[in-house]
Amino acid sequence: MARNKQSKVQSLTSKVQCPRVLTLDLDENAEMPKWLAYSLLCLFCWGIFGFLAKLGADRISPGHMQILFTVGMIPLVLAAFFRSQRKVDTDRLGVIYGVLNGVFAGLGGLAYFAAMEAGKASIVGPVTSLFPLLTVVLAVSLLKERMNRVQMFGIGLALVSICILSI
Amino acid sequence: MPGWLFYSLLVVMLWGIVGLLQKLGTNRVSANSLLIWLMAGYILLLPWLLLTTRVSVLTLRDAIIGTLAGITNGLGAWYLFASLENGAKASVAIPLTALNPLLTILLAMIFLSERLTALQWVGIIIAIIAGAMISYETSETSLSQPR
Repeated sequence: MARNKQSKVQSLTSKVQCPRVLTLDLDENAEMPKWLAYSLLCLFCWGIFGFLAKLGADRISPGHMQILFTVGMIPLVLAAFFRSQRKVDTDRLGVIYGVLNGVFAGLGGLAYFAAMEAGKASIVGPVTSLFPLLTVVLAVSLLKERMNRVQMFGIGLALVSICILSI
Repeated sequence: MPGWLFYSLLVVMLWGIVGLLQKLGTNRVSANSLLIWLMAGYILLLPWLLLTTRVSVLTLRDAIIGTLAGITNGLGAWYLFASLENGAKASVAIPLTALNPLLTILLAMIFLSERLTALQWVGIIIAIIAGAMISYETSETSLSQPR
């Protein structure tokens, strides 16, 4: 019986391959599918992130927030490192994209904390969440990706919302 | 243009580019490796940030809030990743997680007593719907959330 349980735990951990601390023990028989639970947890974390960003930006400078934010990201990066069996891909162009990714994300973070400092979290949160708008437009113009109708309509709505909120 | 709007549009621009770099990057290296190189980019900014701010003025409370912001952001990305690995369709999971400002609004109203005008309500509701629609990707090419 005990062995059975142990082997089940082993098979689960080998499947997930990440530090146990971060793994959720979601009941296999639960009515909510695992992916949905994880998506909701993501939604929850990012929602709290926006609130904490406002809370912090009201007291300290965007630079301070970005430094502390970077420190807080370390556990995630360590988890990624161990997940990839401590191997890091070093394709030259891939590395350049990755590092640039971090530089732009960091500068974006500074602007995000500055926006939170200057405005209300309940407005800055939704407006800054519109950033995939530019990603979609860039992907269409530079990578020849196709935009679907839902995305096109979404971009239209995004522009309307920005106009309304800027009044 | 109000300050918050200027900075918010700057965020849309910078993070929008991040989304593109992420698409380009994951074509060449694994998502885990990309995250590690992204961290290298964050660290590149640190010397400049440390020179232009004084870390010694931070109180313990400030330090905890800022670090928690990093943790919740990272954890959110990790959960999205886990969701996709557990069979979520990107076209469902990513728009669903794009609803996260709803929780931010709720917390800001309860704990920071933020109040909005009727017009602002209309604006943010349209913005949230728009955010979910824009992240409706029919192909599984990317995790369009780089934060």
